[in-house]
Order: sequence, then C-alpha cells, then structure tokens
Amino acid sequence: MRFQDAARDARAVVYAGIQADPLVARVAGLLADATLAERILARAVMNGETTEPDRWRAMFPTLFGAAADGTDGPAHTDRSEAILEASLAVADRGEQVRSQVRGAFVEELSARLLARRVGTDAVRRERRILFDGVRAEIHPYDVTVELDGSAEAYDCKWGARGINADVLHQLDDARSNAAGEDETLQVALVVFDARRSCDVRLAHQTAPHEATRVVTIETLDGLAEPAT
Amino acid sequence: MSDETIRDLIDRALDAYARLEERGEEVEDEWSYVADLSDAWRTRFDAVAAHRGSAEATDESGAAVDLAIDEIGRIEDPHRAIDWLSTFPQVVLLAIGERP
Repeated sequence: MRFQDAARDARAVVYAGIQADPLVARVAGLLADATLAERILARAVMNGETTEPDRWRAMFPTLFGAAADGTDGPAHTDRSEAILEASLAVADRGEQVRSQVRGAFVEELSARLLARRVGTDAVRRERRILFDGVRAEIHPYDVTVELDGSAEAYDCKWGARGINADVLHQLDDARSNAAGEDETLQVALVVFDARRSCDVRLAHQTAPHEATRVVTIETLDGLAEPAT
Repeated sequence: MSDETIRDLIDRALDAYARLEERGEEVEDEWSYVADLSDAWRTRFDAVAAHRGSAEATDESGAAVDLAIDEIGRIEDPHRAIDWLSTFPQVVLLAIGERP
C-alpha cells in the first residue's frame, strides 16, 4: 500500500483554489474549537436563506441570549459571533461557490482535528492509495493520515445525503485491499450532519460499510482523540 | 414566560416540518429517504413531547422556533429542503433546551 498525490487535472486545480480560500480556513479554525450548538449554528447559517444576523441570534437563544433553561447566558458569545459572521460570509457566496466552500471546509476541519492527534505532517490532502495489482481509484481521498503502520483514509461530506454507494465502496475497497497486503487502513466518513440523519441514510445503502467509521457533527472531536 | 408549552412549540414545528418534507419529496429519487428521515426526526420530537410536553416554554424558545419555521418557509429549492429536514429539528431541539 502506498500513497500518491492526486493528478493535477483541471478539476484539481480549480478545487485547490477553493481549498485555499481564506474563508475556508477561517471557518474551519473557528469550528475546530466549537461546541455542538455552534456547529449546528454554522450548518444552519451556511445552508440558510436569510442573511440577517439578528434573526440567527434570536434563533439560537442558547448561544446568544439567556439560556433556554433559564440559567445564566452563554459563555462563548464572542466565538459564537465570530462563527455567525464567518458562516454568513459563506452563505453570501453564490449557490455553486457556497457548496464548494462548504465541502472544502469539512475537509479542512477534519484535517485540523486529525492533526491534533497525529501532528500536521502526517495529515495529507487529496491523496490516492495504490495497491499492487489493483487498478487505482480515480478519485482521491479527501484526507489521509500517513504514519508507519497506522494509516487512515477519510472522505468528507457536508450532509448525510452525500453518503452513497460509490463512496462506501471506495472506502471499503481500500480497507480490504490493504488487509490483502497485511496492512491496516482505517477508513471513515466525516459528515457535517446529524447522526440520526446519517443512520437513516446508511440504512438505505447496500454497499458494505460495517467497517467504515462514521464521524458526525456530534462526534467530530473524536477525530482528535485516539481510537478506543 | 409565555402561556405556551413545549408541546405547543413542537406541534407548530411539526406542521412546518410536514411542509418542508413535501418540498423535499419533489426530488423523486430521494422520496423514500425523505420519508424515512422525516419519520426518524418525528420520533425524536414525539419523545420530547412525551417527556416534557407540558412544561412551559420561554418566550425566547417560542421566538426561536417561530424564526426557524419562517426560515424553512423561505426554502424553494427541494435539494436544500432535504438538507434542512436534518438541520431544522436540531435547531428546534436546541431552542427548547433539548439535546440535538
């Protein structure tokens, strides 16, 4: 098993420009330290219709107002404000660009969280995984962790609807091909969406996914923690 | 405090959610996913209503739920509606002080 940079075709060049957008790094940096409620705020705003910040503040009283349970107000209002501002900047892009930025953001967020566990140098982007005697997949993996004796491959999705047969097959094929070479490759999907929705989506899939870990908006911080 | 209960807010949210589901069902290839997704979240709302439905809702919670309802009422794109079938319940659950 060996890793290789993806071909620099036209798609890759265009997408590299999206990935390099400072807004992607800004949103990912903020959400790497965010609470679940703040991550749901970001998902709602980035996928929202209204761009009026006051409406979003009122929609999330646990972040911007007195808590719903009547206890004292939130402790991270500054961070919530920064997340709201950055998410609105994403929403303010045209529909196509907004979609691309959201996808790149989930990859960047995943890479940042993984780097907390394995170090920045071990985390790579847009990599193909090659196996002896096996035709290489055309599409690269969004994020990989490349350490001697410990490799991981991640595909990142904005929403549960992004879970499909192709991505599940690609991840499971890589895992089984690695096993065929007596290598261990952990594979996972990172989905910036609710676990409940991902479970429903997975229930509709017949592609193998029993050995594929699914990281959801509720469990993102697990990327930064050793597997149990 | 308003005169409303958590169940009142959930009932309003579910009415709006049904309209959002109809919009999402316009994507024919995703019809069964949309139906199952909506059922899954309704089950969660039902559980909250059964557990805390009679509790008084705060004015802030009521306003937040109404704004979330207004937000999904603006959605015309059925693909975005499907995305919101997942997001809207989490926004509402947060607004009423529940685990999303």
